[in-house]
Amino acid sequence: MQDELSDTDFTVIAVAIQEDADGLEPFLEGITFPVLLDREHVLTELYAISNVPTVIWIDADDTIVRPNSVAVSTDTFVDFTGVTCEQDLVALRRWIRDGDVPLSPEQAHGVVADLSDDEVDARLEFRVAAHLRRVGRESEAAAHFERAARLAPHDFTIRRAMMPLIGVDPFGEAFFELWAEFQAAGSPYHGLGDPIRD
Amino acid sequence: MTVAVITDGVETVEGTVIDGRVLVAAGELETATGWRLEPEGLCRGDVCVLVPDGAAVRVDDRVDLGALAEVLGRRHVVDAEAGVIAWSLDGEARRQALDDLTAPSFTLPDLDGRLRSLEEWRGRRRMLFAFSSW
Repeated sequence: MQDELSDTDFTVIAVAIQEDADGLEPFLEGITFPVLLDREHVLTELYAISNVPTVIWIDADDTIVRPNSVAVSTDTFVDFTGVTCEQDLVALRRWIRDGDVPLSPEQAHGVVADLSDDEVDARLEFRVAAHLRRVGRESEAAAHFERAARLAPHDFTIRRAMMPLIGVDPFGEAFFELWAEFQAAGSPYHGLGDPIRD
Repeated sequence: MTVAVITDGVETVEGTVIDGRVLVAAGELETATGWRLEPEGLCRGDVCVLVPDGAAVRVDDRVDLGALAEVLGRRHVVDAEAGVIAWSLDGEARRQALDDLTAPSFTLPDLDGRLRSLEEWRGRRRMLFAFSSW
């Protein structure tokens, strides 16, 4: 997509919300846009992001024209680089080629609910836990990871992101259990949970 | 002992924990948090936040990082035993950005370790793509 629009002012800025660059190799193949590493999950607190992949469209003057949106409906990693489903690609081309945005400012306003105090605290507990893990204090880290999970039980940037840090397979049974809990809670997401349809 | 202070990164500085309060030397505050205590208040760059008279931010020659977080309206989490404190980012700025749909600025390293900011691409249309390998 970046290549197709390379004659325009458009760029993707990819931000990996994870402890280190491990596992990013399949994603990085052949890409031309910048990839940043967000170890402390700064972006999820600044933009109230509760799952990945999430996309946000930002205009040349820093205005958000498409707030937090679920990017894909597939788990296959390479498909992430394809960015989104076909309808999203059409919408993206329209924005870049024709200047049409999918939402009016009125529609975009209020799409992303603010983080609750518990969701903010979950991010702090997660950062404390990740730090303690890095310095070898695994059992104390585990207690903070548990607290983070209790504070934000349906936030994948907390619950799923901690899996590889506590030796749990993020694509295994624990993920499917989390997915079921998330759906039972009504699939809460900070932003537009469904692709935009014409 | 040393204490770890987590904001948008982790800084390790000399400090102590007393009764669950994380204290660092006033001279370490800016390294730890980016903020410094001045006669006019708690300052970062040109911005100063008034420290209310009742706020017990100083303990002898040290400052209480939890009390300072409260002055700034930041939430915080402490692990007293491990000597770790984490401050939230600026929640008011997030609420403002969500309300007026202005993209909050951030600075993060790229995969070569070079710091990059959102402003670097100002004047271009950008798709921020938050993803992960988990």
